[in-house]
Amino acid sequence: MIRIIGVGSPFGGDQAGWLAIDHLQSCQFAGCELIKLDRPGSGLLSYLQDVDQVVVIDALISSGQAGGVKRLEREELAQCQELTSSHGFGVADALALADQLGELPPRISLLGIHTGEDQNGVPVLDKVSLERQIQTLLEDTGD
Amino acid sequence: MVEHRDIHINVPVLTRVEGEGALELDIVGGEIERINLRIFEPPRLFEKFVEGYERNQVIDMVARICGICPVAYQMSAVQAFERLSGFTPDPWVKAMRRVMYCGEWIQSHALHVHLLAAPDFLGFESAIAMAADYPDAVRRGLQLQTLGNDLIALFGGRSVHPVGVRVGGFYRAPDRSAVEAMLKRLEAALPEAEALIGWTAGLSFPDDDQSFISVALSDPDQYAIGQGRLISGQGLDIDICYFDSHFQEIQAPHSTALHSELDGRPYLTGPLARLNLNFSQLPLKVRGLMEGCGINFPSHNMFHSIVARALELYFAIAEAIRLLEHYEVPSQSYEEVEPVEGNAFGCTEAPRGILWHRYDVDQAGIVRYARIVPPTSQNQGRIEEDIALSLQKLGLDQDDDTLRLRAEQVIRNYDPCISCATHFLKLKVNRR
Repeated sequence: MIRIIGVGSPFGGDQAGWLAIDHLQSCQFAGCELIKLDRPGSGLLSYLQDVDQVVVIDALISSGQAGGVKRLEREELAQCQELTSSHGFGVADALALADQLGELPPRISLLGIHTGEDQNGVPVLDKVSLERQIQTLLEDTGD
Repeated sequence: MVEHRDIHINVPVLTRVEGEGALELDIVGGEIERINLRIFEPPRLFEKFVEGYERNQVIDMVARICGICPVAYQMSAVQAFERLSGFTPDPWVKAMRRVMYCGEWIQSHALHVHLLAAPDFLGFESAIAMAADYPDAVRRGLQLQTLGNDLIALFGGRSVHPVGVRVGGFYRAPDRSAVEAMLKRLEAALPEAEALIGWTAGLSFPDDDQSFISVALSDPDQYAIGQGRLISGQGLDIDICYFDSHFQEIQAPHSTALHSELDGRPYLTGPLARLNLNFSQLPLKVRGLMEGCGINFPSHNMFHSIVARALELYFAIAEAIRLLEHYEVPSQSYEEVEPVEGNAFGCTEAPRGILWHRYDVDQAGIVRYARIVPPTSQNQGRIEEDIALSLQKLGLDQDDDTLRLRAEQVIRNYDPCISCATHFLKLKVNRR
């Protein structure tokens, strides 16, 4: 089973992770558990347990095409953030802490969604790109 | 003749604090010339945002000031509006608000003790580095933090920026099965919290007693959390509506947070101040846990703050258990409270100290003016005073790294929430 976690919050570009989960709920990928988390901070660790594979989807501030989905390596994520405050205890920090505690699942993948809005101020999501990335991850597991 | 170096220490971004701030320190001729705790996070203008909004909207808006202590903001606001209307919440509402507030103390104290402060005492750069040598301690911190968050969510729907509190009570009451499940988790966590007290008390503390004024709320019936009179160790005892008569907010050029003084002097608010003034009101069992620890309250060593947080964390779990043990779902979770025009005052004990609110409300219950005085801005003057005293005691001839580390540790003793206070840490030491 794959646990797919959308990290975000209700407003602005930070909704991206949640919008991805909303879309995946309509796709009916077999063997996927879909979860939305509201800025979990270190609480993310408890969602990494009792499962073989976790995919974390979060908003990505970058110069990429708005709504586009990019698979990130852990090293890339570490460059994105620096633990300076528990207010800013983000996904990279939570994964680093889980790694240090030996609590990462056997397989962990990260998808970043380039944040951006359409003309009406609604956050955009490249659904085809998202589905393709998830399909690739599913096939990688042999499921 | 002793040669003195001129020292300039600059910490451009303070780590393991809530929000963004910096420290700048000038040592000239062996004397501290300047200490600036700089809060540079931009002003967030919440006091203006809430103007024009109705009371219950304001309660949800002020929760967004802080991701760590949103409950405190909601509770100070709701208290203000209810006091103005002459409304006293029923015993169920009072008890459940106290439980929800306990959730915030549990999560905030667990976070600060394990992830922010402990690395200082154990010589690690971060909690992530500390986790390699102290995995069980870090796990305990994470578990307790999650427990506190889930207790908040039980009443607020979610732990970050909860939405359950309203004028007159709660939007909804949790069902009995959810409360029973939470009770089991609280009871299971109590031994962990007890072990935490001994663990923190066993850390190595600098000998650094200082003279300072403690300020906290005082409630004759219980250890104050969500209501009380403002008291100090020097005899202050006032209703919260007279805050302005004794406390002055001052603009410091180096900070986007206002400094606060009590009759012209800096003061301390927070867990150590609370225990200094209200320790005797803790239940006998909780007080007994300090016996044999080698640390006594009242204490004037700010490094004992980590022990104070651990003790309060235990108390918060025990108090939540006490109040939830005989939980019944009420017939109604709130009463309608008609708005009253006037000046509303609220003050509660946030994890970091007293959080004072004033709202000017019109006949329709619309907020026309707001003033919010968070604990970190109140502690700013005391932090700067503490750094000066601590560094002088440590010895200003120490190397820059030693001075910087001590200064940062002093600051973290206060668990400053810079994001809340902006209206804060990077160290810059200048030696000339």
